[in-house]
Amino acid sequence: MLDREAYDALQQVVGADNITEEPAILDTYAYQWCTEVEKAATGEEPSRFGYRPEAVVLPSCTEEVQAIVKICNNFSIRFKAHSTGFGVWGAVSGPGAIQLDLRRMNKIIEIDEKNMYAVIEPYVTNAQLHSELLKKGLYHHMQGAGPQTSPFASHTSMIGPGFTSASTGFSGRNVLAVEWVLPTGEILKLGSLNSCAEWFSGDGPGPSLRGIMRGFAGAFGGLGVFTKCAIKLYLWPGPREWRVSGIIPNYEFEVPPYWKIYVINFKDWESFEKAYYKIGEAEVSMMAMTSSTEGLATMFSNTREDTIKKIFSDLMSKAQRYVVVLVAAHTEREFKYRTKLVSEITKEHGGSDLVEIGVVKPLSTSYAEAVRNMFGSHAFRFTSCFQSTHGGMDTISMAVNLAKVNKDIKLKYIKKELIGDDRGEGIWASFYEQGHFAHMEMPTIYDPSSAESCKGYSDYWVECNDTDIKKSLGIPFFIVGDKNHDLFGPHCNNYQVWLRKIKEAFDPNDISDSGHYISSKKYL
Amino acid sequence: MSLDSYEKIMGSCIRCSNCKFIPALQVKSQRFSAICPAIERYNFHAYSGGGKMVIGLSMLKNRIEYTPDLLKVIYRCTACGGCDISCKFFFELEPLEVINELRTHCVENEKGPMPEHKRWMESVETNHNPYGEPHENRHSWFSRNVALHDGSETAYFVGCTASYRRKEIAQATAKIFDAAGLEFTMLAAEEYCCGSPLIRIGARKQALSLMRRNVEKLKSLGIKRILTSCAGCYSMFKVEYPRYLNTDFEVVHTSELLNAMLKNGELTLSKDVPLKVTYHDPCHLGRISEPYKHWSGEIRKVLSCIYVPIPPKPIRRGTNGVYEAPRNVLRSIPGLQLVEMERIKEYAYCCGAGGGVKSAFPDFALWTAGNRIEEAKATGAQAIVSCCPFCSTNFKDALKQRGESMAFYDLTELVLKSIGGSM
Repeated sequence: MLDREAYDALQQVVGADNITEEPAILDTYAYQWCTEVEKAATGEEPSRFGYRPEAVVLPSCTEEVQAIVKICNNFSIRFKAHSTGFGVWGAVSGPGAIQLDLRRMNKIIEIDEKNMYAVIEPYVTNAQLHSELLKKGLYHHMQGAGPQTSPFASHTSMIGPGFTSASTGFSGRNVLAVEWVLPTGEILKLGSLNSCAEWFSGDGPGPSLRGIMRGFAGAFGGLGVFTKCAIKLYLWPGPREWRVSGIIPNYEFEVPPYWKIYVINFKDWESFEKAYYKIGEAEVSMMAMTSSTEGLATMFSNTREDTIKKIFSDLMSKAQRYVVVLVAAHTEREFKYRTKLVSEITKEHGGSDLVEIGVVKPLSTSYAEAVRNMFGSHAFRFTSCFQSTHGGMDTISMAVNLAKVNKDIKLKYIKKELIGDDRGEGIWASFYEQGHFAHMEMPTIYDPSSAESCKGYSDYWVECNDTDIKKSLGIPFFIVGDKNHDLFGPHCNNYQVWLRKIKEAFDPNDISDSGHYISSKKYL
Repeated sequence: MSLDSYEKIMGSCIRCSNCKFIPALQVKSQRFSAICPAIERYNFHAYSGGGKMVIGLSMLKNRIEYTPDLLKVIYRCTACGGCDISCKFFFELEPLEVINELRTHCVENEKGPMPEHKRWMESVETNHNPYGEPHENRHSWFSRNVALHDGSETAYFVGCTASYRRKEIAQATAKIFDAAGLEFTMLAAEEYCCGSPLIRIGARKQALSLMRRNVEKLKSLGIKRILTSCAGCYSMFKVEYPRYLNTDFEVVHTSELLNAMLKNGELTLSKDVPLKVTYHDPCHLGRISEPYKHWSGEIRKVLSCIYVPIPPKPIRRGTNGVYEAPRNVLRSIPGLQLVEMERIKEYAYCCGAGGGVKSAFPDFALWTAGNRIEEAKATGAQAIVSCCPFCSTNFKDALKQRGESMAFYDLTELVLKSIGGSM
């Protein structure tokens, strides 16, 4: 329970309706996806209930956030803020902390069509922002977590690969100016916002603080609270009205005229890799991703039942190393150019389009789900649970190598029936920035209701991390907490030393819960 | 069923927040993207469908105890099922079932329902309606100009709200049936509450007792087909009665009957009704009216960690709710223009009245109706039309409170106008 004086002070800031210590309500914040795996990794009984916050507060604006953070400093109370709050990273990581739920900060403040950025608050969701942007002929990068999650959280605090990463990169590359309540309660305006009160740039003048703010992977909410940010926008190659009809689950999307999905299959990794580089260099695809055949089965299905049927169909023998490409052009001429290039690359590397030969059939909604980043959620259909290891963030070649290396590791755990059987092939990858580098994660299904399965996944996760180090396969994209940074840091120029210095300088009282970031040396 | 039978389902919630919004494929604006009035109004995650799943799990694991605030979380929810639909776009979880079980758990442990609901329960027991109205007045709306056919196998089950609060709906319905030459009877003094107000607040035991009585009475009168103008009664007879009591009445909502009559030429709408209207899908006629299908079978492991029900288990996603019939009827009215809101059919936003909210939290009920009215106004419509006396009451209250010029009509009122009838 909070000190009464502290509670009263917090209540004074947000009002009685926006603060609670009710255990039942607090428990809904203690419960988070992947807590069970983190617990298993530390030898605890797997459970989705982690630490219960002492209180939850719902600030409505930057000033309230600032006041809360100052109270936390005055009373030595740790805090953790989350926006849509999907995953253990958003929860408090130890006892005695309070949770800031930024749900009431949900405004799209500005859409600057000319300069192609949007200024948003933390609780704007991807689907909400997308629905408003396309009316103006624009769209934004969405992270794979889904349309119901916060682009703000991903842009400011995580890596954030997504299904349109081939054309929009990842979240960390799309964040521009930011308003940031530091762990001390001071407000820092990042980039152009500080120098000219405009939001168009996250850097300068002078040294950029963007790297301080998020480093490689983001601070996962462990370095204060971001309250407003600008994100980069792109030209939307579709109509300004979103037309979806029908009844759940079989909705129909009116596919724009110059859009086409390919599933280009290659006989082996070698030809896949060459073609994938080419597709990236050609800059023809809005989406260019790969997964396992199981992934393909669920991607173009509306229900779990349909997915399972497809897994037991002949799809498994007909799809090997494939790239799902979405060409989305603004004009007929551009469409012809792009599709011609895709066809030539396919031919050159001995690929075949599984759509054209009738092996798979994208639904009309597959197009909509691609651009609204909904495919990731399909992976939950198998057991209501999956999580990913690895990350790569290196070349396409290394991503391919990662997939090859991981197969045997995964098969060991599948054989023991601890994780879902995807024949060791469960992967998800997209290149970034014309194929300069790529993301390669290994989505892995486990059964959250089984302690053995949670523990099995956790052991698998540890082995994946060890393999990343032993075989120099990059850093996992969910790199969180002291243990992981201390594991990977010494192999990467001792970056953890610098990260700790940043933490110490910006959070001298260690008030911003850094359980999923890094502790300063002083508080280790 | 009981709360513990949903333990695995509750523990499978990943707190993704899909339950807070309409299915993402259907989001057309930020303004009208929410599906859950409770989380929209009270903001703490506990108020969402997913939050209720966590609360259920927490309760089973003895992590929490009943408190007045916990009861508010459980009952400040219209049990509209919107969360359920959005969740089921990806998952096969059952947030609405869990919400209903939580309430039943509260009542069975004598912690719930809310004090206002207890008055309902007493009134249903003594007056056979939740409104505290004398039972003998139940039939007072009835006009002698309407011909009843004793011995008919078709009964118009009027329901408590239309009998006592929205008499215009009962009167319009009976007049239309009469004008169309439909042979039907009514239960009159033998009509008791359908049980909806009880089952929605978790008083399942009391509801079942009442439902058994109603079934016996209907059977003793030789009724085979039940007509209803109330969405709440409809979903009770269509879904809950067969689910718990294994009944086989044919259950028809007025909108379905009118649609069929129009198609068969048994009813003609000839008079102009020059109105631009938008249609509000009542939750209990739409997504919640999808029939419950009993399932029996086995759960078989097909791959490591992956289990499937054999035979496939029917999933109630709201796919088979009544959506087109009322729209077809509206489109058949000369001079009337139907325009759609953003949130429609299985992902329609609730009116705010259901689940005991109107009685226990009237301010919340009006707040929610206000949101829906804003959405209706955004279409440019002059009136909201719906097919539920309870939606009608809440919308009329909210329109009045807000001083809106927008009107509300039940579908039957407009049909009556179009056949030249009057109240």
